[in-house]
Amino acid sequence: MADGKVLIIGGGVAGLSAALGLARLGLEVQIVEKKSFLGGHAIRFSCKATDRCVKCGACRVEETLKNVTNNPKIKVWTETRVINVSKANTFTIHLSKRPEYINPRKCTRCGACFDQCPESGALIQGHSNYNFPFIAIYEEKCRFMRDRSCCICQEICPEAAIQLDGNSQQKVYLADAIIIATGFQPFNPESKPYGYNSFPNVITNLQLEEMLKRESIVLRPSDNTIPKKIAFIQCVGSRDAKLNHLWCSKVCCASALRLARLIKSRQPEIEISFFYIDVQTFGRDFQAFYAAVQNEVRMIRNIPGDIYQTEDKRLQVNFYDAALAVTQEEIFDMVALSIGITPSSELNKMVELFELRLDETGFAFGSGETQWFSVPGVYTAGTASGPMSIADTIASASQAVTAVAKLLRQKAG
Amino acid sequence: MSNTSEKFLINLLDHGCFKSWTFSQDVCLTCGICSSCCPASGIDGFDPRKLVRMVALGLQDEVVEARWPWICTICAKCENVCPMDIDISNIVRRVRSLRDRDRVPGVLQKGVEMALKTGNILGLPKEDFIFIVEDVAAELAEEPGFEEFKVPIDKKGANILCTIHNKLVNTHTEDLKHWWKIFYAAGEDWTISSDYWEGCNWGYFTGDDMASKTMVGRIAENLKKLEIKNFLWCE
Repeated sequence: MADGKVLIIGGGVAGLSAALGLARLGLEVQIVEKKSFLGGHAIRFSCKATDRCVKCGACRVEETLKNVTNNPKIKVWTETRVINVSKANTFTIHLSKRPEYINPRKCTRCGACFDQCPESGALIQGHSNYNFPFIAIYEEKCRFMRDRSCCICQEICPEAAIQLDGNSQQKVYLADAIIIATGFQPFNPESKPYGYNSFPNVITNLQLEEMLKRESIVLRPSDNTIPKKIAFIQCVGSRDAKLNHLWCSKVCCASALRLARLIKSRQPEIEISFFYIDVQTFGRDFQAFYAAVQNEVRMIRNIPGDIYQTEDKRLQVNFYDAALAVTQEEIFDMVALSIGITPSSELNKMVELFELRLDETGFAFGSGETQWFSVPGVYTAGTASGPMSIADTIASASQAVTAVAKLLRQKAG
Repeated sequence: MSNTSEKFLINLLDHGCFKSWTFSQDVCLTCGICSSCCPASGIDGFDPRKLVRMVALGLQDEVVEARWPWICTICAKCENVCPMDIDISNIVRRVRSLRDRDRVPGVLQKGVEMALKTGNILGLPKEDFIFIVEDVAAELAEEPGFEEFKVPIDKKGANILCTIHNKLVNTHTEDLKHWWKIFYAAGEDWTISSDYWEGCNWGYFTGDDMASKTMVGRIAENLKKLEIKNFLWCE
């Protein structure tokens, strides 16, 4: 295979899959990720296997991350942003990396800093054991960053791995091709009448994924008790003309129903109600899957109107029961909102840097298609170009890899 | 479509007069959030989602004859939450407009006619109106802290003109005092008019746009006559 260097912007499942594909072709790959950890949203997702694998793809993210971490052809810079790009024969990319407050080569993940930090949320940890570094400082919360009033973690770290007054680093990278894999922005449901961020037991499907990955079971966030009744509400922030989000987010029916069945398999005593508009089909075994769902989950073809919190932090969900032609005010212990997949604000930056073209939804035009760019050698992968599942994201990353390989082969003559 | 019964069904689902309506009724996803949040849904089986569907499908006779459009209070909560931005309250008004006026339910049509003729739904004469509000104002002035209170009627150049719900000069006169107290405490320069003081617009409510326009026009005339720029349209 031809020689070449490729820069990948974004270290979620699209960027990681593309990196691995390119490295397997013998190319040198650099991943830049603005956050502290690789894996994007999907690394927080739980395996949804019940008595058998349901092909949700969550394990693939973990596995891809592991392979990327172990691959010598792939370099990773987390907490790094692209500052500017110029193009002559190759791309010259200027990068800025935030100070490395915690030296990952010294950190043994002992957790002493976590135990002693007085500010909740100032220290964060990765969602996978393959995250390297595994612990990071969240600048917006850290007291040292705010007014230098605290450096407890630095003082108590037994490995002397923490250095809070480090400098940011500027780097220049030369690349023959670039893959934009900046991912998506989950819709913030605060504007919907469901009390999100006011009622602790109203959470998003992403938070539920994270909980199931971490705890294996569902616990009510307000008091860590096992809920008796959970409601799922679909299409929150998708298919919404008022928000200018006319698209279906494609993955939420599959992921929410798989989550519901996963919960039923582990905590069969929990009653689950599923409020939906219509269920999008998914997977080859959808028919059998959906038939099984009917026995385990109460399916209600109606989107609730309001949620009120009771004194004991339970949730009164108001919905119209079309079968009985009455409005029900039913009490649930927890509500999970299936929030929409929306364009990442990073895409605007990509528009500036690469003259990337967005379609009327605000997502990038299709992946692996050079014709949309005035500069050849720039490609997109994953949800930067619209909602897709983990499997589709991996496929789109392969498309981008193929396009890059083709370009480099042409270049080599 | 070879089968005659199928042909019949297709003909029934003609958009008819609804085709020209621009209330976005055709983009309904049937999510049902309108029905879930509607304070009147369930009354006589009222289901706003189905009402919108009836219009989208062109079931003109059925929807015009139905009781449902008249159960709606036009509070517009449904369209506030509708993800597809469907103008549900105007759908209801337009459906109502298709009923012959002699078949408008209850006292509504009588009220419209009375308002057009006398200026308010009750047919309350001007002298009686002034007597009632001044009487309530005198009662309020007996309360500590409100000794100086007087109700400003037809005050030229006031900051705000307010309309009044007919109930407040009929069965619920006590309720006048609450907002009067607030205005008094705030030192607001406000007034009410002795003619066409009513905020209720049953022309709007029954889908009678001509009557509605006449009633609104009278209030606009009041604003001009009294040289007032701000209008508080209390129903």
